Amino acid sequence: MASSGVTRNLRSTPVDGYPTPTSALQSSTETILVKHLPIVTSADVPVGEGEASGQGPALNRQLHLQYLLRNLLQGFPARYASQDASQPWLIFWTLQAFSILGVGLDDRTKQRARESLLAMQHPNGGFGGGPGQAPHLLPTYASVCALAIVGHPGKGGAWEGIDRKKLYDFFMSLKQPDGSFLVAQYAEVDMRGLYCLLAVATLLNLMTPELLSGIPEFIASCQTFEGGFGNASFSEWAFQSDGSSVSYDPSAPRPVIGEAHGGYTFCAAASWVLLRPYLRLYYDPSSHAPKSLSASIIRRPPPTMKLLALLRWLSNMQGIETELGGFKGRTNKLVDGCYSWWVGGCFGLVEGLMGPASAAGTESEGKHELHADEDGWDDVDDALLNREALQEYILYAGQHPAGGLRDKPPKYVMCFDSRHRIPDMSGLLPSLATLSMVDHRVSPDEMRRDNLLRAWKSTVTEGEAIGAAPISEEQIRFETFQKEVFANALCWLEDEGSDKYVGGNVNRLNATQPLFNLTVTHSEQMMAHFYGQTISPRTARNPPKCNKSSPPDSLVAGAKSNITAARGLCCQSPDFIS
Amino acid sequence: MSAIFQDDDDDSVKLYSEDPAWADVVPIPQYQGVDALAPINYTEEYQDATNYFRGIVKTGEMSPRVLQLTEHIIRMNPAHYSAWQYRYRTLLALQSPLEDELRLMDRFAIDYLKTYQVWHHRRLLLVALHSVDAAAAELRFIVRALQDDAKNYHTWSYRQWLLAHFNDEARLWAGERAWTEELLEQDVRNNSAWHHRFFVVWGSGVRKGDEDREEVRKRELGFAKDKIALAPNNPSAWNYLRGVLDHTKTPYSTLSTFVQLYTASSAPAADVFDLDNPPPSAGAELPSVNALEFLADIHEQEGQTEQAVQVCVYVVLRYTFTKHFVAQIWKSLANEHDTMRKKYWEFRIREAMQSR
Repeated sequence: MASSGVTRNLRSTPVDGYPTPTSALQSSTETILVKHLPIVTSADVPVGEGEASGQGPALNRQLHLQYLLRNLLQGFPARYASQDASQPWLIFWTLQAFSILGVGLDDRTKQRARESLLAMQHPNGGFGGGPGQAPHLLPTYASVCALAIVGHPGKGGAWEGIDRKKLYDFFMSLKQPDGSFLVAQYAEVDMRGLYCLLAVATLLNLMTPELLSGIPEFIASCQTFEGGFGNASFSEWAFQSDGSSVSYDPSAPRPVIGEAHGGYTFCAAASWVLLRPYLRLYYDPSSHAPKSLSASIIRRPPPTMKLLALLRWLSNMQGIETELGGFKGRTNKLVDGCYSWWVGGCFGLVEGLMGPASAAGTESEGKHELHADEDGWDDVDDALLNREALQEYILYAGQHPAGGLRDKPPKYVMCFDSRHRIPDMSGLLPSLATLSMVDHRVSPDEMRRDNLLRAWKSTVTEGEAIGAAPISEEQIRFETFQKEVFANALCWLEDEGSDKYVGGNVNRLNATQPLFNLTVTHSEQMMAHFYGQTISPRTARNPPKCNKSSPPDSLVAGAKSNITAARGLCCQSPDFIS
Repeated sequence: MSAIFQDDDDDSVKLYSEDPAWADVVPIPQYQGVDALAPINYTEEYQDATNYFRGIVKTGEMSPRVLQLTEHIIRMNPAHYSAWQYRYRTLLALQSPLEDELRLMDRFAIDYLKTYQVWHHRRLLLVALHSVDAAAAELRFIVRALQDDAKNYHTWSYRQWLLAHFNDEARLWAGERAWTEELLEQDVRNNSAWHHRFFVVWGSGVRKGDEDREEVRKRELGFAKDKIALAPNNPSAWNYLRGVLDHTKTPYSTLSTFVQLYTASSAPAADVFDLDNPPPSAGAELPSVNALEFLADIHEQEGQTEQAVQVCVYVVLRYTFTKHFVAQIWKSLANEHDTMRKKYWEFRIREAMQSR
């Protein structure tokens, strides 16, 4: 519930009588941020409707919807040419913002989205930042996620239009000897690209031991002494290529390139969650593994992620009261709205990695479920970040008076991806996603996982029944793997009774699945299709709730008469209904 | 950034579609037969240039005019990775002088400091140049670039890659540690500089002169302690201190005396100055949250060690006492000194209480 009115501890970050450029910038930012607290001054709060009702800050839903509609229908102004290589992101952000706000789109708009996205698919596989641009992992992720929202199976639904075979070949063409991936040909290795690749491979059923080999070691090598993750590690000492073959020296250093950073840390943690079935099924340091599996089994212990160190670092990224509890992306940097999602969202992933629900696979071999240096902890009964404070940060400091959400008031610094630095648009989705995350605690649900595993329709055993070639150990293991990839991703559901939102129902948003940044429904629909599975309805851990505050009529009416095409564009969200 | 669009309404904008030298190229519009959703309303100049770029990519032409075109596009949109990629391939195909390209990049790096591509392109050029001289010059260039933006992630990553890739002890690594000291003199809270120091001293093998690791450990702990004394609430210095202890597997308890100078609510009377345990500066705001956390960690670590060798009643009793003491510190963090992280400190208490 809203904590406005509660006495706040407004001690600023200590300077210790020793000012430096960092502390000077910090102090001036805190001075600005504190002004956005109603308790300090009620005059300068940008969005004040919520206060009047005594419910704390309000999400200005109407204003944000108008802003999104304006972009969608009129297009983006010329300054967005800086996003020309990120067009799938503009579309994905807009569509996902609608999903979170609980607004559905009409068929014509969805079709235009599908056609636009497919126009960005490269003839050699993968998606580019726009039509005619080279394929790249980041826009590939944005395109596939956008297609999860607007696509469907069958004719014209665009899902069959994704060339999975070529996409897989494109992925493999980017693979490096140390397990990492270039984001595009001749481009850099980057933790974001790796996450994008894994999310897409999971959604589209492209996960294979071949694709994943070396990835866990690479990710583990990127954890810094601070506990968070850097962008990449240096591979040339451990992996030496003499043209035809690559030799690996496990004793050689693989130093992290770049300091611990919120964006890369989210990508590393989310990737780690997506890799769990691989870690469980394809590492076997014992000699018991059948010989027939020798090709794909890795005969050493799986690499580890230091979870408690990671949790400590994440926790330290939350700004203090004078920073309104927003998140920063690195030690001694400023709070920034986009890290509310990257770092704030990472808590849920780490809690999922530590908690019991996600710890075990189908078989109860308690050997190395956690793949962590530290022991698990089985009492995840509450979030470990200050959710109310974070929500207040976004609502008090982050709402732009003209619609859209920004990373912080007046002055802003670069967002995680500088290519997305235009404040309104790049700030909007992370901020909405954060609010959604604060609303709903989405975590792995053991019962859901069991149901998904039980309901799995085997493709391998069917083949055997009609007299195909005998099934190899390799095939059986691979199908178990696919099944676990499926269940591991789709068991993330909203906790019952976990919703918590400052400002009352007006701020209510749809839940976001943190592994993909899609709604649970959209994730399920796409994965069910590409894995050839039927998903049983969820027993709602939380009953469906509608957005009473923004019925479709008022939305369209609010969308100004100059956007006449907006009429009839939106309807109530399909999420929770399926 | 807006400077690159200053020609919007300028009649002098040169369009490729009006240039006879480009008449042989068939421009390709972005969307054909698609009613694009949420399109960007480009300037005429940008749209024209990118139409011709798509035309070039389609025919695979690699010529000097392609270098002009890609430069033009990159100046309008430095994040156009396809233009960068195609430019790099063209440079190689034409065997263009890469030193000239680097000088062009010097200007780009300052103008477009925050794009991935501008730094990655330099990296590709350096790989192709294969020269330690060039790498040494790059280190000097980076020093200048960091003067404008001391924490630029790409710049730092590039420097770390340069050092490791060329790996020349005398010409590249030799000055690095001293340089981080210089930067930390300017701003002891510059976390990028701390990370770089860790990269140089611990992450990337053993530097010349650093063969005696015990000496290095002492030196680095001393360095971190001195920096903590200057500004006891600086998490960067504390994290480095922890990093060194973890990396060298040194128990936290070896720093008990030092840490307790920072957990008190006021600075101790400085009767004797102990070089190993520098006291907090006069302006220090105490107690330091980082120090309180560290003190709790010392006792938690000790508790775990003793738990492993529970041999007599005395140890068990002392363990119980320690656990209680640690919980008191965490409670003070949760309720008084670091209230934003209340949930985290309560988690630490739960965790400790549950472990037997």
